[in-house]
Amino acid sequence: MTTEPRHPHLLKMTDPPTIVGHRCVTCERVAFPPDPYGCEKCGSPASTFEQWDLEARGSVQAVATVHRHHRSTPVTPFTVGVIGLVGGPVVKAIVEGDSVVVGSTVEGFLTPGEQDDDGNVIVDLHFRVVQ
Amino acid sequence: MNAPKLLSDRPVFVVGIGLHRYQRRSDATYVSLGLTAVREALVDAGLEWTDVEAAYTGTALLGMGASRIMLSRLGATGIPMTQVENASASGSSAIAQACLEVASGRSDVVVALGVDKPRGGLGAAPGEAGINNLEGGSVVPFTHFALLASEYMNLHEVSDEQVAKVAVKNHRNGSQNPFAQRQKVRTLEEILTEPISGSLTRLQCCPVGEGAAAVIIASEDGINRLQIDRSRAMQVVASATKTEGLYGEGVGIDAALTAETGAAAFEEASLGPSDLDVLEVHDAFAIEELLYAEALGLCQPGEAASRIESGDFDIGGSCAFSPSGGLLAMGHPIGPTGVGQVAEVVRQLRGEAGTRQQSDARVGMAHMVGIGAVCVVHILRKP
Ligand SMILES: [Zn+2]
Repeated sequence: MTTEPRHPHLLKMTDPPTIVGHRCVTCERVAFPPDPYGCEKCGSPASTFEQWDLEARGSVQAVATVHRHHRSTPVTPFTVGVIGLVGGPVVKAIVEGDSVVVGSTVEGFLTPGEQDDDGNVIVDLHFRVVQ
Repeated sequence: MNAPKLLSDRPVFVVGIGLHRYQRRSDATYVSLGLTAVREALVDAGLEWTDVEAAYTGTALLGMGASRIMLSRLGATGIPMTQVENASASGSSAIAQACLEVASGRSDVVVALGVDKPRGGLGAAPGEAGINNLEGGSVVPFTHFALLASEYMNLHEVSDEQVAKVAVKNHRNGSQNPFAQRQKVRTLEEILTEPISGSLTRLQCCPVGEGAAAVIIASEDGINRLQIDRSRAMQVVASATKTEGLYGEGVGIDAALTAETGAAAFEEASLGPSDLDVLEVHDAFAIEELLYAEALGLCQPGEAASRIESGDFDIGGSCAFSPSGGLLAMGHPIGPTGVGQVAEVVRQLRGEAGTRQQSDARVGMAHMVGIGAVCVVHILRKP
């Protein structure tokens, strides 16, 4: 049995955790999520990309608490934020705690969630407000 | 390359409109829904099915090969039939193809219809692209728009109640439309109950049901040869389609894409936002009407909420927004939606919209966006 990120190519289980994006060597565009196909800015194939680590820290641009969801997880209500990472890209992720507002500075943390059919623990990246 | 100005060189007109009411999924087959709309459009135009030279069917949910099993029941005339899929803009793109076919001179009379039945889930291809994200499926479309609402309301100091007034207006308009899925007047208090995501409540999210809509597109030659009533023929003066470009990080893609597509349509028509009397806008979620009012240039950034409150976008205001009830009240059965918008604009320009008539309407726009992201805009004018 393992403990792994839901999508291992997006996230490194370092302390603090690291988000993995890509950088196009040709046009220098940094993007998240890392794309397996090609660059939306210059058209270079993904084979020319380099992996690009992004700090899991940023500023909340928008926030919404979800009251209805079509799956049993995450359990409602949960809160989703649009987070402008300090490294440039914008991500959407679950933000825990009641104090998040637009403009909050947030940091990522690893949260072990559901288990898959083989008992492996799936780890997600959530964010929380930096006090 | 200089694109030929097809729509001005060989003008095209909507000469017939027909709808099947948008409604919750029922036992009716899509064939009966579609035939209802096409038969009504033929009667409206005073045409026979044998006058129609080609058909484009906008559908996103039915699966392959929807057209012939349906339209051959008007007579298996052997005309070319093509399904058009462009997510929520499928019907709009069917109209774009029909206009192109008539403007090119290939045909004089073409039908564009939209028909769909919900089958549970949208089956959207981008979800199959193998590109995963951090949120692990927690951000569905209504939360995407709830987040846009959060950003907008924070930036422009707009309240939940102000956004909800879009839904009050569109439900009121829908109550006057016999083809609308939701035909009840709703109070602000009713709109604000039943939270779904962020500030969005159930009645600020469009219902996705079933239905059908059809329009018949014709050339001048077709109108003359078939003696179609010229006074009820409304000209299509712009047909613009764009897909999402690469905008800056954090820029709302939906509004940016709409701004680009709207600008292209206005340029093609040699018209501007102040010329619009009627606007059928993609209001799948209430916040969108505010975003697109500004993106299309009908008011300044941050001004849309106060313009709604002032009644300026009501029927009887400077530009009637979604007089049909929009996606919020008329409904969003996917394939039909964009065709139903054009049918409403035509009805308004003809002066046949009854109790929801925008007085002296001369120019109208129909605007759809779809997953992908795509945006399709048509402008129609009373000749
Ligand atoms: Zn590049």
